[in-house]
Amino acid sequence: MKLEKENTKAEITSASMADIAFLLIIFFMVTAVFSATKGLDFKLPQEEEDRPVEQEEAIYFKVLEDGSFLMDCNYATREEIVDYIIPKLERWPDKPIIIYSRPEAPYGAMVGIYDELLKPAKSEEQGGLGLLPKTPNISIPTQSEVLEYERLFGQNPFESNC
Amino acid sequence: MAFKHKERMIEAVIPTASMADIAFLLIIFFMVTTQFQLDRTAVSVPKSEIRAEVPKGSAYVVIYKLEDLNQYAYKFTDGEIQSRPVPDVSTMEIEINTVASIDQTRPFVIKAPGEAPYRLIDEIIEMLRRAGVEEIILLTDQRTVDDVS
Repeated sequence: MKLEKENTKAEITSASMADIAFLLIIFFMVTAVFSATKGLDFKLPQEEEDRPVEQEEAIYFKVLEDGSFLMDCNYATREEIVDYIIPKLERWPDKPIIIYSRPEAPYGAMVGIYDELLKPAKSEEQGGLGLLPKTPNISIPTQSEVLEYERLFGQNPFESNC
Repeated sequence: MAFKHKERMIEAVIPTASMADIAFLLIIFFMVTTQFQLDRTAVSVPKSEIRAEVPKGSAYVVIYKLEDLNQYAYKFTDGEIQSRPVPDVSTMEIEINTVASIDQTRPFVIKAPGEAPYRLIDEIIEMLRRAGVEEIILLTDQRTVDDVS
């Protein structure tokens, strides 16, 4: 008896591949994070470059408990910062800027000032104004530095200044 | 002479052969660009106009408010695993030192609510400085025209 030869074509089924692929796409689309992780960059001073800033030569900000702040001893708003610092930094690009926050002052107020100080030097693509060639020399004294100043001068210079 | 008109039957088909290619292209795109959120704590971070991208693998120090107790608590992640609560500041310092001792160039992100008292952030900055960390990022949201007015 002659057996009939069955001719079956060897094939890998790929019909479900697109389903799996789209499932993965949906997973990555749901879990992806694009713009949520951004912030203000701040370089911490290293030990060897740590030097005290002469207060008289600096632009000085003091953040108070209610979120308001003093700019060189005068009450100011966030919108006034850029116009105030640009002429000074054009004359002296390395002019130090000190942001002193009282311990109970809201953190957001300090961030607001820091944001405004960065604006003139950052390009328009980065959200800035592109008016200054160099990032200002900003220093944010920590509580231990304030205590160190107190030890040296006998009082907190940031509080006694104005 | 009569011509016999032969009707040709064309089956209506949407070609789907390239669908898998497109799908895999999209998968590769998402795999490369996806950054898994290591900390999902709901914190109303301050708003700023200047915002730099947080580098992949950055460590996170999270300060958040426990509404029912009206006090602040901490979370930490080294940038590789999901953030976990840290009981107090001294444990936070140990965590920071552990990560910084391996790689001092690793950026540290501070995620804290805008209304938090500055002393809490100051304490963290102080710890980071002591640990020899070179770069910190203050996590912010985009400040818009509505926020200005």
